[in-house]
Amino acid sequence: MVMVEARPLDDIGLVRAAQGGDMQAYEELVRRYQDLAFRCAFLVVRNAEDANDVTQDAFVRAFAALPRFRADAAIRPWLLAIVSNQARNHRRSRRRREGLVLRAGEDAPRGDAASAEESVLDRERRAELLAAIEGLREEDREVISLRWFAELNEAEMAALLHRPSGTIKSRLSRAMQRLRVALAADQEARTRD
Amino acid sequence: MTDRFPARVRTLEEELDQLRPAVALPPTPDIAGPVIERLRGAPPVTARHRPWLAFALAVVALLMFAAAAAAVAWAIGGVRLTFSEATPSPAPSAVASGRVPGEAVSLAEARGAVDFPILLPELDGLGTPDAVHLDRRRPSGGSVALIYGARPDYPADAAGVGLVITEFRADIGPEVFEKLVHSGVRVDETSVAGRPAYWVSGGAHFMFYRDASGRVVEETMRLVGDTLIWESSGLTLRVEGARSLEVARRIAASLR
Repeated sequence: MVMVEARPLDDIGLVRAAQGGDMQAYEELVRRYQDLAFRCAFLVVRNAEDANDVTQDAFVRAFAALPRFRADAAIRPWLLAIVSNQARNHRRSRRRREGLVLRAGEDAPRGDAASAEESVLDRERRAELLAAIEGLREEDREVISLRWFAELNEAEMAALLHRPSGTIKSRLSRAMQRLRVALAADQEARTRD
Repeated sequence: MTDRFPARVRTLEEELDQLRPAVALPPTPDIAGPVIERLRGAPPVTARHRPWLAFALAVVALLMFAAAAAAVAWAIGGVRLTFSEATPSPAPSAVASGRVPGEAVSLAEARGAVDFPILLPELDGLGTPDAVHLDRRRPSGGSVALIYGARPDYPADAAGVGLVITEFRADIGPEVFEKLVHSGVRVDETSVAGRPAYWVSGGAHFMFYRDASGRVVEETMRLVGDTLIWESSGLTLRVEGARSLEVARRIAASLR
């Protein structure tokens, strides 16, 4: 814990300071974006240790690439493209692929019987949804989880996946359609049982 | 077939929105620390263990960066100062001018709550503060703010506060140079009773805490005016609100 007498800079100021060799400014930039970068890296490589390696490597590379970055350009897509390049190097990692799970306590009763029942239903539905997403092929799973769990917009997904925005849009649309089909198939199977 | 889904959920998109907070993504590890270590090729020098080396580095940084019109960073006790000629940024919304963090307590209560002796100014008209604020958590070991209403040498701010003297243990940290920069604020080197001190003046700036993971503790952000900062007897001390450096130094030198 430190007390600070200062004024936080915006991204442009931090980028300019970091381009001038100010490591403190770069550290601040990393802190601002490490959460986003790590989450995206994890959703692509699906292993927390690999994601840590990828994110660290990406920020080390980004520092080297910083002189070529236009300070007033959007930093998120630029960083995500670098994260993506590093993630490719880790795709062959032998570490265990980690599936997505629901948080513990998601099914905790919320008091009265009606809301407890609703909570269990919510939990079931969420588990179904997540299982359906996890059951999709990698390309669909990736685009859906980046859109909905990392909250990337199309331009950011395009940067991360090295595809034009239009391609990402149609890829997401097709992935959502296949998710609907998978959910309907699950539903049908349960109704038969 | 009964409807298994709450009526309010209409689209798959809405369901996915609701699913997001329920999905357990692994927590983000500290990335910035290892990255900066890798870029520097060595663990960062800490001011806690080598204050004079850190100071020397800060001076070297000052000379280098002044030449390059870039940023400098100075540290004293548990406080980090930074400024630069970088682009000014809009004020964060979390700032409440004049708000002094901590709970209002009696001086005796504050004395019982912290593990360091609380120093009081012995100047005429000061002495026992009009209010005492205690923050038991930040920084570790606690901090005490002595608050005085307006006096001729330190006019009241918007919140009616004239002068604030903040005291906390100096050996806290992660002891790294602060990374935040600002334009328009001057930092002058001075001294208090022979100890190095800094006078931060020329424009409003922020005082706030960073937690151990480096995140800004938003609720501690406070817009402050001219401030004198120094270290004495293992304490970091701040005098904020004095009309001039001379007044601030007089108050500082009278602390017992």
